[in-house]
Parts: sequence; structure tokens; C-alpha cells
Amino acid sequence: MLDKLKLEPINNWLKKNNWHFYNHQLETVTKTLQGYDVLLVAPTGGGKTLAGFLPALEDLINNQHPKNQLHTLYISPLKALTVDVHRNLLAPIQDQKLDIKVETRTGDTSSYKKARQKQAPPHMLMTTPESLALLLASPEANDYFKFLKFLIIDEIHSLVNSKRGDLLSLNLSRLETIAPKCQKLGLSATVKNKNSVLAFLSQKNKSITINVQERSSPSIDILKTDIRVPWSGHMASYAIKDIYKKIINSTMSIVFVNTRAQAELVFNKLWHENEKNLKIAIHHGSLEKEMRRKVENMMSRGLLDCVVATSSLDLGIDWGNIDLVIQIGSPKGIARFLQRIGRSNHRLNEPSRALLVPSNRFEYLECVSAISSIRENILDEINDKEGSLDVLAQHILGVACSKPFEVNELFTEIKNSWPYRNLQIKKFLEVLEFVKNGGYSLKNYDQYSKIGLNKENLYTIKNKNIRNKYRLNVGTIVESYMLKVKLGNRTLGQVEEWFIEGLNEGDTFLFGGRILEYQYLSNNNVIVRTTKDQQPKIPSYAGGRLPLSSELSFQVRSLISKEENWKNLPSQISEWLRLQLKFSNIPGPEELLVETFPRNIKNKKRYFLICYSFEGRNANQTLGFLISKRMQRMGYKPIGFVATEYALAIWSMNMVEDINILLSDDIMLDDLYEWLEETPLLKKNFRDAAIISGLIERIIPGQKKTGKQIMFNSDLIFDVLKKHEPNHLLLQVARQDSYRGLIDLDRLSKFLKRIKKNIILKKLNQISPLAIPLILEINRQTIDKSEVNEYFLQELEEQMTKEVGLN
Amino acid sequence: MKSFKFKNHEFQISLDGILFWIEKKIAIISDLHLEKGSSYASTGQLIPPYDSLETLNNLIKNLEKNKVSELIFLGDTFHDDQASERMSHETDLLFKRLIKTYKVIFIRGNHDNKLSIDGVICCEKYVLDGIHFIHEASKENINQVSGHFHPVASLRVNSKKITAKCLVHSENLIILPSYGQYTGGLNITKSPLREFIDVNSTIYLLSNKSVYKLPVSKIKNLL
Repeated sequence: MLDKLKLEPINNWLKKNNWHFYNHQLETVTKTLQGYDVLLVAPTGGGKTLAGFLPALEDLINNQHPKNQLHTLYISPLKALTVDVHRNLLAPIQDQKLDIKVETRTGDTSSYKKARQKQAPPHMLMTTPESLALLLASPEANDYFKFLKFLIIDEIHSLVNSKRGDLLSLNLSRLETIAPKCQKLGLSATVKNKNSVLAFLSQKNKSITINVQERSSPSIDILKTDIRVPWSGHMASYAIKDIYKKIINSTMSIVFVNTRAQAELVFNKLWHENEKNLKIAIHHGSLEKEMRRKVENMMSRGLLDCVVATSSLDLGIDWGNIDLVIQIGSPKGIARFLQRIGRSNHRLNEPSRALLVPSNRFEYLECVSAISSIRENILDEINDKEGSLDVLAQHILGVACSKPFEVNELFTEIKNSWPYRNLQIKKFLEVLEFVKNGGYSLKNYDQYSKIGLNKENLYTIKNKNIRNKYRLNVGTIVESYMLKVKLGNRTLGQVEEWFIEGLNEGDTFLFGGRILEYQYLSNNNVIVRTTKDQQPKIPSYAGGRLPLSSELSFQVRSLISKEENWKNLPSQISEWLRLQLKFSNIPGPEELLVETFPRNIKNKKRYFLICYSFEGRNANQTLGFLISKRMQRMGYKPIGFVATEYALAIWSMNMVEDINILLSDDIMLDDLYEWLEETPLLKKNFRDAAIISGLIERIIPGQKKTGKQIMFNSDLIFDVLKKHEPNHLLLQVARQDSYRGLIDLDRLSKFLKRIKKNIILKKLNQISPLAIPLILEINRQTIDKSEVNEYFLQELEEQMTKEVGLN
Repeated sequence: MKSFKFKNHEFQISLDGILFWIEKKIAIISDLHLEKGSSYASTGQLIPPYDSLETLNNLIKNLEKNKVSELIFLGDTFHDDQASERMSHETDLLFKRLIKTYKVIFIRGNHDNKLSIDGVICCEKYVLDGIHFIHEASKENINQVSGHFHPVASLRVNSKKITAKCLVHSENLIILPSYGQYTGGLNITKSPLREFIDVNSTIYLLSNKSVYKLPVSKIKNLL
């Protein structure tokens, strides 16, 4: 087989290193040679990236390619990944002295280098979806890509179900028009519905999925500790000493956390424990690029003992010899967890080693469920998503920037993009109208339209200025406005504007592992100084809150529903469940347990209603809004509610009598639409849509707007549109995104249908064991900051455990 | 509506930001920024074209509810020098109706510093009973009513933050909130606006439902 494939140079290089081809790598080459588009589904560390590049290498080694013409395009969702893959690919090329030029092109590439890449393209270019969109929007795009033979999309599963994926897919369709013979290769982590990912990659008949078996199942444990697992909270402070011991006993470890705030806190606490002066570093998305690169570099050279990281280190980068992955808190989804575990022992035939540290009791159940799901090969599903119209608007303008287009031709091309396969011509024309003149029924703006018909009846941009502005506004990621954190002349990284707004001068916070004192704001820089303060205010970043996946949620419900499953749980957890069963009830996988009980808050009698839905924080939050609204109407006088991943707690002045009316799905959805119109969420989504679609600019050259000004403007536009054009395209997009996103409408309506006849109501006289974490959470979230101290919570906890009879 | 005394004259501030000088039947309005929308549109940001119409409609509606014969606009009535040329026919009619119905005085602002309209007073400063009507507040020790800064204030109420337009009333000066639909704001804690505010100042906050009188000395977390 090898002889036929003529891959000698690569094979020689492998042999030199005592490596050999994996079967899936050779199969990828064979299938590509037969003309297939290939989706390669394999666990991390399986030589997936090399497999993706092999067909292109083979072709460059054995065939002629026109001089100075791009041969292969590699797209990855992460800039860091393009850099890493670039480095890895250069190894065999340099070793075997192959005449193959490989370069990266991202937002970080210098404009000088970018210009040169346009003049004399390398054979292989590694880039991101945004940089690809920019390349395609240039007038030379046709000439640049017309000889393209291979297109490789890495981590394709992470792009499928997002606006970023919409943008990429539209551009894939564009490339297909420019270079119809180009073959596509997608590299994906293991997911449940591979067919959606394949369809996203290619809709050719000749397309195929190559599936690589999971390697020997990973060895995953939950941290064993003598200390009691906390009822609520997310910081896992109780386990720091035990975690430190594990770090000592491993060569190099990664401690994964879910939020940047957790990263800062865990990092800080580990350093307090660090008697042995281990080299422990921190890595998250807010830190300055140079600081992150430094940490990455030290990791790959094996100079560190441990890194505390957020999802900034999730995707398939090879960071050297990690032999232990510690996950603090639940990983929230099975795919994400597998990916994180994959960071350790980056070899296909060795099992990876991982340790889970649940930060509270419900998370303990989640961790147990995640482990058994992995053992039984249960995977998360990627939900299909219709292409977003704001992204389409951006794309249409991009196409016009590149060259004049004919309406029907463009429509056909867009329909070839998987997320837009169901797009109706009427909707398409509505988006086109929006790009042209804003899509208002008042036609004041025709004179300012961005695109218009030329003499040949083709749409083209009105002037060059529009192309320049498009370039500055491309992309689908709208971040909160960030401010630079400056210590003297050094930039440490960035924080969200709203976080700083909540600080007073002299307040301290953790950032990049230091305790910093906020001094003042100057030219959008946050000026800080170091402090000896030992008790920092923790930055509670918005990012990183991941919802519990539906699959994992089902697994947790199944786990607790049968008493026989509890025997593998530590006694403190099983005892908790047993007491709950005795005291109240434990719901089956398809049931909903609702408890009501009275309880005093500050000496006033209140009635609590708790729904254990296990449907994730977003769905519970929405449910909370809807139920309290209805309770209000029914005269129960609700006071407040708290939503966690697992349950919803509402407290009111009057006792709820009829649960079924509160939870009936038909009225519920009517309320939802009404409620949504009033939420800040809709406004936020409107702002994002306005920016993505190009209605509002991100940056105006020479004029720096602060995030708040952008927000203020978009709010004004929102109000005006709602009044004058309630069905404007962008309002449609904002509503759609709200249903999909934080509200989790889909999940909520499935939930309401599921529980219809399956509600177990327990009217109790006092708090149940399962409700303790909720009540603690209420106090954590609602009481004045000054009153919340650990002492107060501890006292409350002791009191409640005594009430339900736990020790 | 909230009433207050300024230099022994009675004034009223309405919820939407019109200042009434009761005894003189004068309404004072600032920073309409007409055609701000189309000014953005001409540079490629096609934000909805309803702002001027909305601003003028609101203004006319509220003026009609009060006994007013004279209007003083404190500048930046138009967003730029070409704004009046971009106005739609409908907007133009409303504007003409306004200057026909009332005696109108336009103070010029930094956005419309070349403003001139046939048969209407357009000037930099207008003085009445010792009160100077100007666009931007002056450090000189004169009694003055101005606009320009679009003051807004943020307050924490029950741990929620509320930000709204406001009128600033210090001993010798009043700074009006902006009236235009698409006008943003400068927080009163930010320079240079904060230099016109001291512990004896009062803020009139225009929230959704009513006007709140807030003495600066009594507000924590404000300055």
C-alpha cells in the first residue's frame, strides 16, 4: 500500500523517529485519491492532523502545481492552533528538505507579511474562519483560490453549531464556486451525530466518514477526600490540599476549571499551598497574549509542573508531556470532558489519566454520570442550527466587496451552504434589502445604500470605503467591551468594562495570579498597583459559564432514580439521597419532583417551591421568570427565585396550591414570547446582531468608542425599531437567538412536554435534604454582600443539616 | 414634572426633558441632534431613519399640552450643517410648523455652528432677566442655562443600577439633558461635566415613570 501511495519522504521521517503510519492516516489518503471529501473522526492524539495533511503532501510531492499558487488551505477555530500545527508540520518538511512552503495568516500576522502572502502565496496557508472571510472579500479572491486543491478544517465539530460556523460554511460554498475541484477534509473529535458534521463539511455524493475507535478507555477517578463535599458553591476550595498532593506526584499536570474567576482563585490557593515551590502557571483568555504564549512555550518544553487553565487550552494543541488532567467542577458535557482528558498522555495507545474534583454535591452526581457515560460510550449530540440571517448579511456584503454578483447565482451558492439549505428566496431578498439600505419601509436611505446594481445588472459595492469598513467589522464574535489592565507600563491583560464599573477605587481583585488594587481609569486603561492585601475581591467574569448538556442531565436523573446505583457513591452522598427518599421523594428519569415547604427568612414566614428539573441554568432561569410571573397573576406574591443547573427555587408570601396550572406548557409558551420582549437579553442579542450584520460598526477608524456607547446606541435603535418596524430583520434575529441561547426555549419546551403527566408534588413541612444547596445558593446570591461571609453561610448550613437530620 | 426655583424664577422640568419657564411661557430644549441617523447613514451605518420624526413629534405633542408661546433651543438642534437638507419631507413639514407656531430662538451649538434660518433668531447667546442661555456651560460667574453635555446619572437602587438622562441644577447654572432620540450621554461623574457640580447641586433624574429630585449631597456612590 505504501509503495502505491508514494509517501517515502514522510515515511522516512516517521521511521527515523521510530514511528509508523496509522491505518486511518493511510485510509484518508486512499479515499482522497479516489476523489472523496473525508471527515476523519478520531480521539485527540491519534495523528489526526497529519492524516489531514497527508493527501496534500502526497500531491505536492508527486505532482506539479502551478508556481506561486495556493495549494492547500488549513482552517482552525483557534489562532494558537494554527501556530502549533504549523510548527508540527514543518518538522517532516524541514527534515526531509521538501520544497513546500507553509505559512500562517491570522489577525496576529503583520500587514507586511499579509501583503507578501497575497503576492506570492505559500503552498499551504493556515488560517482562521475570519481571516478566510477577509481573503475572500478581496477583489483578487478568484485568482488567489482558483488552483486550490485541498481544504482542511480542524476541530470542525466545534464550529458546526454556531454563527462562526455559519460564516465558515458560507465561505466554503464560495470556495466551491471558485475552485470546484478542491477536496475537503474535516477533522473532528468524537460526537454522536457524525452525519451532521459530514453534511456541514460537504454535500457531495462522494463524501465519507472515517471513524477511529476510541483508544483504551481513559482512567478517570473522582478525588477521594476525608473532607465533606460542600452543599453549594463552585470554587472547590475544600480540595486544594488534596489537589496539591496530586500535582506533586505527577510530572506535569493541567488543572482545568470552567470560569476565569475559578482559575484565578484556584491558582491563588495553590500558591498558598506551594511549600515545594513547584512551577505552577495560569492560562486564560483574558491574559495578555505574550503571557499566554510564554506559558504555552514553557509547557511544550516541559518546564512547568502544573498549569491552571480554562477552555483556552481545550482544543487539540499538543502541549508536551502532560500525565495528569485534573478537572475542577463538572465538565458540563461529555464531549468537552473527553477533549480535556485527551490532553494527558497524548498517544493513541496509552490510556489517559484524569481526576475529577466536584465542587459541590450535585456536581458529584454529575461527575459520576460523566464517567459512566464515557465508559458506556454515550456521547453529546450536536444540535443542528439554521443559518443566522445577520451572518448572511455580513457575507452578502463580503461577496459584493469581492466582485459584482448576480442575485440568483448568489442565492444558489448560499443554498449550497449546509446551515442555509432551507433558506427561502423571500428571506434571502429581505436580507439583501437590509444590506442595501437597512431594510426600512421608509425609503429615506436609498441614496446611502451600500450596494447597488451596475450596468450589467449585477450588485456591487457603491465605493471602496465600504470594503475598508467591511474589513474592520468582519467576524461573528461580539465580545463584551474589554479594558486593558495596566501595572505601570506593563499590560497584564483585559477585563470586561462592567466588572470595573462595579469597583471602587482601592478595591482589590485577583488577576493573572496577582492581587491588584484598582486605582483609576485612564484612556480606557485600568490602572492598578500591587498590594499586600490578602483578601481580594474575586473577578466574577461573565465568560465560561457552560450549560449542563441534555445528555448528561439525563444521565444524572437516571443515576439518582435507582437506589442500586447509589452503592458506588461515597457514603456522605448516598446518605444524602437516602434521607431525601425517606423525607420526600427522588424523581425517576422522566419525572419532575416539585417540593413546597414553609421556611422563615429573617423571621418572616415564606413559602418555597422547588422544581428539580436538571435542565441547566439557562432553562431554569427562564422557567423561574415564567413561573413567578404566573404566580404573581394568581396572587401567590412571589418574592424571588434562584436557578442552578439542577433546580429552581421560588419563594413567595402565599402558599402555592395548584402546581399543574403553574407548569402547563401551552400558557407557558405564550407568556414566554410576551416576557422575552421586555428582557435585557433581547437587547443584548439585538446589539450583537446589529454588529454582526454591519448595521453598527465595531470600530470607527480614528474614533474610539467605549463599549457602553455602542450599547447605548444599539438600545436606542432597538427602541425605535420596535416601535416603527416591529418585524425588522434584526429584531427577528435577536428573537431567534434569544430562544436558542440563554433562554434555551427548545430544551424548555421539550422539558414541559416530558413532565406533563409526570409531576410528583410533595407538600412538606420543612426543608428537604435535596433543597439544602438551593437555600444556600439563595443566600449566596441575594443577601447584601457585606452580610455574606463564610461564617454566616456555615452557620446556616449547620442549622439546615440539623433540621433534616444529617450529621 | 418637577418644579424648582432658579434665581427666584419658577421652572419646571418635564419627564421627557423640556424645561419650562412658567411666568414667561417659555420652553427650553437642548440637543435635538436632528438627522443624526441619516448622518450615520451617509457614512455607511444605516441605522433606522425615524429619529427626527420621533423627536419632533414628541416635542410638539408635549408643547401642546402646556401653555407656551416661546421656544429656546440651546444648540445642536441639528446634528450637522447638512442635516436640514437630508430631512424627509414629513420631517421638514413638522419643523416648519414648529417655527411658525412659536416664537423661536436658536442658540448655535458645536454641531450646528453655522445655523441660520430665514426670519428666525439664530445666535450664540441669548440673555433674559440676567439669565444667559448658551450652548456649553461657562466657567464665568454668570447665571446660565445650557446643554451640550447630555448629562446622565447612574444610581444604585436595591443593587440594581439605573442610568438615565438628568438635569443638573447648581447654584448659578442649569444644564439640560439632551432631547434627541439618538443622543447618548455623559455621566455627571465624568470630567468635564463634574466640574460644574458640587455638594449643593441637585440632580433631576428622568426615569421611565417620573422625575426624581436628588440632592447630590444625599446620594452615595454618585460623585
